[in-house]
This record gives sequence, C-alpha cells and structure tokens, in this order.
Amino acid sequence: MSILAVGSTYALLAAGIVIIYKASRVVNFAHGELAIVGAYVFHSAGFLTGATLSGLSLLVTIAISAIGSVLFGVLIYFSLMRRLLGRPTFVAAMVTIGLAIILKAGIVVIWQSRSAGIAIGRQPLFSFTGGGRIAWIDLVSILACVAAFAALAVFFQYTRLGRQFRGAAENPLLAAQRQVNINLILALAWALAVFSATVAGVLFGSRSMLSPQGTIVGMSGLTAALVGGLDSLRGAAIGGFLVAAATYLTARLISPTLAETVPFLILLAVMSWRPWGLFGTVEELNRV
Amino acid sequence: MTTKSPYLFVSYAETNRVLAEPYQRVVITTIAAAILCMPLVAGGYFLHLMNLCFIAVIGAVGINLLTGYCGQLSLGQASFLAIGAFTTAILSRRFGMPFFVAIPVSCCAGAAVGFVVGLPALRFRGIYLAITTLAMHYAIIYVLTNYQAIVGPSASAGITVPAPSLGGFTLDTERGWFYALLIVAALVVMFALNLTRTYIGRAWVAIRDRDIAAETSGINVPRYKLLAFAISAALAALAGSLGAYFTTVVTVEEYTLELAIVYLAMIIVGGMGSVTGSVLGAVFITLLPFAVARLFEALPWQLGTTAFGIQEAAIGVAIVGFLLFEPDGLIEIYRRIAVYFERWPFRYRELKAGGG
Repeated sequence: MSILAVGSTYALLAAGIVIIYKASRVVNFAHGELAIVGAYVFHSAGFLTGATLSGLSLLVTIAISAIGSVLFGVLIYFSLMRRLLGRPTFVAAMVTIGLAIILKAGIVVIWQSRSAGIAIGRQPLFSFTGGGRIAWIDLVSILACVAAFAALAVFFQYTRLGRQFRGAAENPLLAAQRQVNINLILALAWALAVFSATVAGVLFGSRSMLSPQGTIVGMSGLTAALVGGLDSLRGAAIGGFLVAAATYLTARLISPTLAETVPFLILLAVMSWRPWGLFGTVEELNRV
Repeated sequence: MTTKSPYLFVSYAETNRVLAEPYQRVVITTIAAAILCMPLVAGGYFLHLMNLCFIAVIGAVGINLLTGYCGQLSLGQASFLAIGAFTTAILSRRFGMPFFVAIPVSCCAGAAVGFVVGLPALRFRGIYLAITTLAMHYAIIYVLTNYQAIVGPSASAGITVPAPSLGGFTLDTERGWFYALLIVAALVVMFALNLTRTYIGRAWVAIRDRDIAAETSGINVPRYKLLAFAISAALAALAGSLGAYFTTVVTVEEYTLELAIVYLAMIIVGGMGSVTGSVLGAVFITLLPFAVARLFEALPWQLGTTAFGIQEAAIGVAIVGFLLFEPDGLIEIYRRIAVYFERWPFRYRELKAGGG
C-alpha cells in the first residue's frame, strides 16, 4: 500500500515531466523543486486560512495552491521558456537547472529552510492486526493519481485542445500553420506540469517533512518518466510505481542508504537497456 | 611580407596563433605582472579567494574541453573532482605517498573514471547523456560515501590530508599556495590552449558541430569523445586533488550535484568553447557568492538565512541570465569591447571567427 501511495506521487511527478517533454522536447530538471515549492505554498496557505485544515479552509487552501501553481507555470513559460524557442533544447534544460537553483534558494529565503509537515489525512483509514495501517492520505494519493491520469487521458484523447496539443507535440511548425496557438499549448503544458508537481509535492509533504533537501524527489520523478519513456503518459504511471517498488524493496531488504541511490541505478540500467523507456517512441533517440 | 592585420592572414600559422594581435601581448604581460605582484599587497583572505579561483580555473578548463569544445553535456564533473580528492587522500594518508606521486596518480584515476563515464556518450547525445552522467555521479558518490564511512573516524568527519612538502619546504601558507596554484593553473590553461589548436581540439569541435559530418571526414568519433572525457576528468581530478591538499580535508558531502552545476555555470557564464572564457567564468562564479555576501554586509540590517539563500540564488540567476541574454558568455562581451576599440572610430562588425 505504501508502494502504491509513494508510486502515485512519483507517477504524478513523472506525468509533469512527460507533458513538458512531449510539448517542447525539454527535460525539466526543476520538477522536484517545483513540487516542494508548491507544497510549501500549500502549507503557508493552509496556515493563513486556519491551522486546522478542515472543511472550508482546506478547500480554500486547495484553491489557492491550484490557481497559484497554474499561474506560476504560465509565468515560467512566458518569462523564460518562450525566449528559448528555436534554441537547442539542451539550452532550455540548462535553464531549468538554473531555475531549480533559484527555486531551492527561494525556499531558503521565503521559508528560511524550516522543515514543515502538511498535517492532512494522517488519521488511519483502517489498521491491520500486524501493526500496519493505511492512512487516509494514502487513499487520497492513489485516487488523485488515478483521477489525474484519467483526466489527462480524456483531455488528450477527446477534447479539441488536447488534440491540438498532440499535434503541436508531433510537429510544431505544421501545427502552427494550421492555426494552433503554440504559445497557448506550451503555456498550458507548463501550467499542467507545475499543477501536477504541486499535487505531488503536497502528497509528498503529507507523508514526510518538507525541506530544501526534499527536492531530490524530482530525480525519482525523472527516473520514473525515463523508465516509462519520456514521451509516454502511460509509461509515466507505470514507471512511477516501478521506481517506488524498487526503492521500497531495497530499503526493506538491503539497506536504506542504498535506497537513495536506487533511482539512479535504475536510470543507468534503463539507459543501457532501453534508453527510450518501456513505452517511449524508439526514434526519439535520433532526435536528441 | 604584407602589413599585419587581424583580418588578413597570409599563412596558416597566423590563423592558429594564440595571441593574434600585438596589443594582446601587452594585455597578457600586464595581467601576469599584476597577478604576480598580488601577494605583495593583498591580505590573506584575498589570497585565499584567489587560490579558490585557481582551483576552479583548472576544473572549468577541464569541463570546457568536454562540453564547450567536444559538445558532450556532462553533469559528472563533481564526481571527477571527488575521485581526484579521494585518490589523493587515500594515497597520502593511508600509503604516505608524497604529492608528486599522489597528484599524477589522482589524474590517472580521474581519467580512468572519465573514460568509463564517457562510454554512454558513444550511444547518446545531448540531454540523454547529461542524465546518464547524472546517474553516474550519484553512483560514484554512493561508493565514496560508503568508503568514507568505513575508513573515516566517523561517517561525516572526512579524511584529513597532510600538507604537501618537498625537502624541508612545506606548502601551508596562502602565499605559497598562491604561487603553486598559479603555476599549475597557468600550465593547464596553456595546455588547453595548445590542445585546442591541434588535431585533437579541431576533431572535438568537428564532433560538436556535427558528429556525422566529423565521422565522414575521417575522425574516429568514439575515440575522440572518450579522449575528451578522459582529459576533462583528469583535469577535474587534478583540481580535486589540489583542492584536497589545499583544504586539508576531504569529505564526500562537498561533492554534490550542485558543485557539478556550479562548474557548468562557470563555462556557461564564461563562454562555451573558449579557454579564456572558462578562466573568466571560473573567477566570476567563484567570487560571486563572496561578492554577494560582501554586499549584504554593507546593508544596515541583518539578513541571516535570507542572505545565504540569495547567495545560492545568485548562481541560478547567473545561469539563466547568461543563457537567455548572453549565450556566448563573458568572453563575447570582452570580444565586443575589444573589437569596438580596435575599429574605433569606425563601426565595422567583427569579421574573424572567434578563437582562443
């Protein structure tokens, strides 16, 4: 159950990375930072609306975080990424590295590196006789993940904007010539990515303490995205659960210190075996 | 012999000169003289900063050969530094080796690790390679963390390194280090400048610009990619090794992904594919946090943790700012100024392709 809950967090992170990669061929190295910043914003918003986080104040907090994250994604696109269109994609990736440093420093400046926990859904849903228990938040994580992926699937498959998105991802020039608003699509990609990162960050923060070091979770998300294939949403979901399972089992069976390195070992294994991931498009590699 | 001009070459040797114009000789001599005289006037703190700059210059030249010249994006620089530092620590501490054995062996160890980390480059380009080197970085750091936990007095204390000594002379003053590091850094810069003008350097540039075209022109692409990784890692290991001697203690916590990014920032800021640029970038990025800290000291109110955060953010801002607004780095700004004065009072555009 813990694997499923952690895996859904990783899957959400991976989904954001995949959305940005699909839309713009940019690998976002700032995803962990975006998640943790989102969680900190959620924490502060919760503090402002009432410390208990229940009922109305919880709804208001969720609304603030959601709107804030979407606006922040749009802001990142128009202030940074838009200027990099037409430049090599690795330049944009390096800009996201710079963005990651700025965001991480932002946590230090704004929240003074305080560690914070998001106390929602800690109550046990039911307990096992062996001492294990399932918290509400675990169920919420899994449901949020399933809902997010279902919504994305419907969006890409059946809506006009979603079809335009896929078209723009496949061939931006042709799409632009067919009246697809590329700026809108890319801004939407960043908004969706930052939003999903925030959700993942909040779920992460409800399970462990938030701190600037927590941004390393982005690497698990990146690994999950690579395992599944950088351009495959279905892959992101499965990759997330695979990475969570591998990390959990290593921590349980071998050693907790090795578990921190496990995502990177998986990364190396995937890169040497199937660099395009489990569900990625094979010809992707020739374009990088 | 025709009149010399920076834009009219009459022999191939002229296109390859390091110092293309007479005034550059004057500039270089002046800078060299100024640097040599620095310890006479500067205090210990300033010399310490300069020493950090020299070490950074060595590492930055290394990553620029790999990323700037050969076009192989690498996030593994911190692990190469760590390899150099740890090899030095092990050799000098456990086996009592003198520095003139430990440093070359560290470079060789770095080159060997660089070779291995470079192997994926035969298959990947661009961002995929960066991700692979990132994973390699964590794998190497994991091994070193475990090693440190085994040999060190405690898991986080690190390994102390004795000061290097030759005969009766021990290198333990900032001034002594200043001259020692200056010589090594100058040698590394000259080595790199010469390397980039040889077949090897031009092969790297060809691979960077279009690897398929390079292969068609008879360049052994895998060989030169691996050579770039090995030389770059050897220089990084040299920087790590000197850094270990300089700080007298080696801890694995020092060699984070942030350090690799800082080195990447140096060549982004300085100028990719320019040895002089890596020197400028290394000095800029090394001094930046100290300059920011100095700025905050001048403020009337105390900032505490905030100042620390802003110091960290400065490097991120430098990366983003230079990539967006001055992608060719500080060296391009220098070239523009140089050309302006060269052509003054005319406003001709620069004609020659950038070198050096």
